Amino acid sequence: MNSTMHLTDDQIDEYLMGDLSAEATAHLDACNPCLTRVAEVEQPLASFRAVSLAWSERRSATLPLQEFAPVRPRWTRRFVWGATAAAALVIGIVVPTLHAPAATETNVAVAAVAPAPVAPVVQVAHISREEQIARDNQMLQAIDRELNASVESPAALGLPVDGRSRGHNRSTMQD
Amino acid sequence: MQLALDATLDAKMTNVQAPARSGSELDDIDALVRNYRPRLLRFVAFSIGDPDLAESITQDCFLKAWNGRANFRGDCSVNTWLTGIALNLVRDQQRLQKFRFWRQARATAIDVTDAATFLASGESSPEARILAREQAEQVTAALETLSPNQRTIFLMRFAEDMNLAEIAEAIHMPINTVKTHLHRALKAVRAYAAAAGAAR
Repeated sequence: MNSTMHLTDDQIDEYLMGDLSAEATAHLDACNPCLTRVAEVEQPLASFRAVSLAWSERRSATLPLQEFAPVRPRWTRRFVWGATAAAALVIGIVVPTLHAPAATETNVAVAAVAPAPVAPVVQVAHISREEQIARDNQMLQAIDRELNASVESPAALGLPVDGRSRGHNRSTMQD
Repeated sequence: MQLALDATLDAKMTNVQAPARSGSELDDIDALVRNYRPRLLRFVAFSIGDPDLAESITQDCFLKAWNGRANFRGDCSVNTWLTGIALNLVRDQQRLQKFRFWRQARATAIDVTDAATFLASGESSPEARILAREQAEQVTAALETLSPNQRTIFLMRFAEDMNLAEIAEAIHMPINTVKTHLHRALKAVRAYAAAAGAAR
């Protein structure tokens, strides 16, 4: 390019794209008319950048952050619900045995009359009632820890954010 | 079929080369949203012309980014990476609503008229802010005349400050095609600026 020739519109575009040749760049550095023509296009672009960002910052500021609480992958949610279901099953097996410390004849008779027992009787007669309660509490706390460790946000499971997750609210068994 | 294509596009944006994460920036979703939402919202809003829909797409973008953060390889800026994810979502939207862009979205169109008043007042005079508003309106009007690809490429270059190679990679086009689109976009901007200058 002849250094006395002014830049074409395409070359000014290339400058704005960051793709101007070294020779044309050298011309631009020393040519006020070309710099003015560049500014005529560059200035509206700069204004657009500033005004559109002011617009989006203002709009973004009105949006709550917590809407973006991450959703757990499906397999993780399945795991959590699976673990919860397993915990419920274990509790369903263990709790009835607390109310039936030994498989007495009466209990067996009741079981025979009662419709469809939900779980087999577990042999816990040799464990004291207090010890069994302590073990159950330990188990529930372990389940809580597991659930808390695997769920970073209650909102991820679609639970209310204010009310804490169910895992947090689960109290230890008293009796 | 469409889902498969989308998954491929997402994979291209998120599953590329060996993960070499540049830090824990992506692990803090609140900070990520705070730092990048305005720019992403701008990119999406000015790409599709509907600010309400743009908010929803921007939210989806952060969810996708969060779920795919382990695949961020760190060879581009987080903003470029997020813009690439947003681009795929914008394209999905364009496929769904092929002919409902800009003109049809006017009911909820972006209004930059008062946005200039939110520019930092300490940095410019009231006259400069009025001029900035007028110029931004000219560029916005020019954007309306562009094709979706031209508009997207224009925004990537002049709003997101991506270079030609980054744009070409994100939009899966040769650099020369990107340049052609930018030439056309700048021609439109130049024409609107000239028309506004003649009207004064």
